[in-house]
Amino acid sequence: MNTNNNVYTVIYTTVIVVIVAALLAFVSQSLKAKQDANEKAETISQMLTAAQYGTKAELDKLGNAAKLDKYAEEIEKAFVIDLEGNELRELGTDRNEIEVYSPKQLKRQNYNIKGGANKTGEPELPVFIFKNGRTVVPIYGAGLWGPIWGYISFDGDLQTIGGAYFDHESETAGLGAKIKDDPSFQAEFVGEKPDFEAPQSEIMHIVKGGAPKDAEGKSVTDNSIDAISGATMTSQGLDAAIDTWLEAYAKYFVANKPAKEHCGKCGHHHEVEEEVEPKAEEE
Amino acid sequence: MNAKLKETILNPIFKGNPITVLVLGICSSLAVTVTLKGALVMALSVIVVCGISSLILSLLRNTIPGRVRIIVQLVVVAMMVILVDQILKSFEATYAIDKQLSVYIGLIITNCIVMGRIEAFALGNKPWPSFLDGVANGAGYGLILIIVAFFRELLGSGTLFGFDILNRFGYVPNNLVILPPFALILLGCIVWVQRSIQKDLQEK
Amino acid sequence: MEYLSLFVKSIFVDNMIFAYFLGMCSFLAVSKNVKTAAGLGVAVIAVLLITLPVNYLLNTYVLAPDALVKGVDLSFLSFIVFIAVIAAIVQIVEMLVEKFSPELYSALGIFLPLIAVNCAILGGSLFMQQKDFLNIGEATVYALGSGLGWFLAIVSLAAIREKMSYSNVPAALKGLGITFITVGLMGIAFMTFMGIAL
Repeated sequence: MNTNNNVYTVIYTTVIVVIVAALLAFVSQSLKAKQDANEKAETISQMLTAAQYGTKAELDKLGNAAKLDKYAEEIEKAFVIDLEGNELRELGTDRNEIEVYSPKQLKRQNYNIKGGANKTGEPELPVFIFKNGRTVVPIYGAGLWGPIWGYISFDGDLQTIGGAYFDHESETAGLGAKIKDDPSFQAEFVGEKPDFEAPQSEIMHIVKGGAPKDAEGKSVTDNSIDAISGATMTSQGLDAAIDTWLEAYAKYFVANKPAKEHCGKCGHHHEVEEEVEPKAEEE
Repeated sequence: MNAKLKETILNPIFKGNPITVLVLGICSSLAVTVTLKGALVMALSVIVVCGISSLILSLLRNTIPGRVRIIVQLVVVAMMVILVDQILKSFEATYAIDKQLSVYIGLIITNCIVMGRIEAFALGNKPWPSFLDGVANGAGYGLILIIVAFFRELLGSGTLFGFDILNRFGYVPNNLVILPPFALILLGCIVWVQRSIQKDLQEK
Repeated sequence: MEYLSLFVKSIFVDNMIFAYFLGMCSFLAVSKNVKTAAGLGVAVIAVLLITLPVNYLLNTYVLAPDALVKGVDLSFLSFIVFIAVIAAIVQIVEMLVEKFSPELYSALGIFLPLIAVNCAILGGSLFMQQKDFLNIGEATVYALGSGLGWFLAIVSLAAIREKMSYSNVPAALKGLGITFITVGLMGIAFMTFMGIAL
């Protein structure tokens, strides 16, 4: 067979391309529902981790269904706000109507926050308030090789970070991937207080060595995290992602900060409730 | 098994190792050798992808038009890797595995070992030897990855597979070791050792 | 001004070889002397300059969610589309060069197939997807900068290797071994650029 003839080459290439495109499109379409369900359960377990309902490893032992049950059980309220902090609409929280923001949706909102040619509309920022009094918000940005995203929870005072969980698509294993794999890095965020009234780049700092120290070795500020050594680009990317997103939420956080004396939402009441919580209902 | 097949399998492991002798697949070997676990996952994926793509393209070898062979090769390899990724992503049981693996997907597709072996071997040989050649080259690549990752994780993080080893004795991890340039220096040392043993590989 | 900073940044700070370690295989294999190294470097610049803007257009107007038809997200195809575009363009360039300039073909021809599998090229397209360039101009400037960075790296390595052939290197380390180590040291040197913010 003469495989160098032009007609043969064109036909062969066309056939291969059509077969490959059809196969990939078919597989991607037919598996999409299952993939989305897995992704949703994963997103939920990341938010629950940030809200300190257990470590990621513990939550991952639950199946997809149990993760959704737990979320429906523990969520107080979920809604979307605009840049001014006004509530736009509520998000579904019933077991079968759970609405969360997947990394893909966060990507679109990231464009909307940053503006520019890729902007498709006004930003819609999700806020998730859990029954333990913690408020969870997402962040999204670019790492070294691909996107990075995550969830940060705030205590009832809307100032102190109660927990954080970060994920990434393709950061270097052992270096940048530590934002996800190293619980001690995520634990560093607990107790930090982002400065919501500062200019964007000053809200949080992720820098080599962490916060500047005074003469006695105590941290001078409480919005600085020690960067991951060897992963400069990922650390810078995470810093920028947190700054961008927390600035977008700043008005909401400042306006809804409870007065110091009345710490109504501090969560003690809810924690008691949690201990006697009934087992998730079987469906 | 005849001598020729045996040679096909054993040669890539040492004498004709894809990394230290053929200089293929360097980029990925720098990126995935910070931890032993990452090196192992990558090694296994490359063995599978390299073996199966060699098999498929060897079956197609007589039909591929010469002028577009690179496109056909790349498309077949990329399609397979994406298919595996999509399927793993769809099941609850394998979703966690896929999350570990998805980091390497791009690196597997562009790994020149896969392309190099298809071009050099699979397009000119029968399916079964091609499959073995793919697997053996994957294994030879994996061997070097694991050696490099062993030193980088031990010296750079003081751990092996995430378990404290040197850290227990008060070792301070050396941050230089986890940077990519150090992987190159380690590779240089591996080449040095190999060529001291195997003198016929030495360059003039 | 933004174009200029993007340009300088992609040459030095985001150098494909020394910051991302992409395209190492052909980098190591074809750096024995300055002349062939420069040939491959030019070929990489040319291919990056063509493929990156093409992939940018495809990514923005076809692959991005809602780009082609509302509600259709083709981003799962991006890998395969980018690779196919690169391989196709490399092959078209090869044919054109062969037809119109046989001299250039005999100088560059052998490198062109190597470039299709050079991960610096695919890496360029994947970074483009991630960096969210605002227009095709930025994508082109980025392509030019990354290509020049790659050119610079391979030519300097080739120059060092030419000089090194007069050095007394242990027999087993000669050639590939010492090249690995040299590139490692060059990589450490290039890290000084990482701290520069532009």
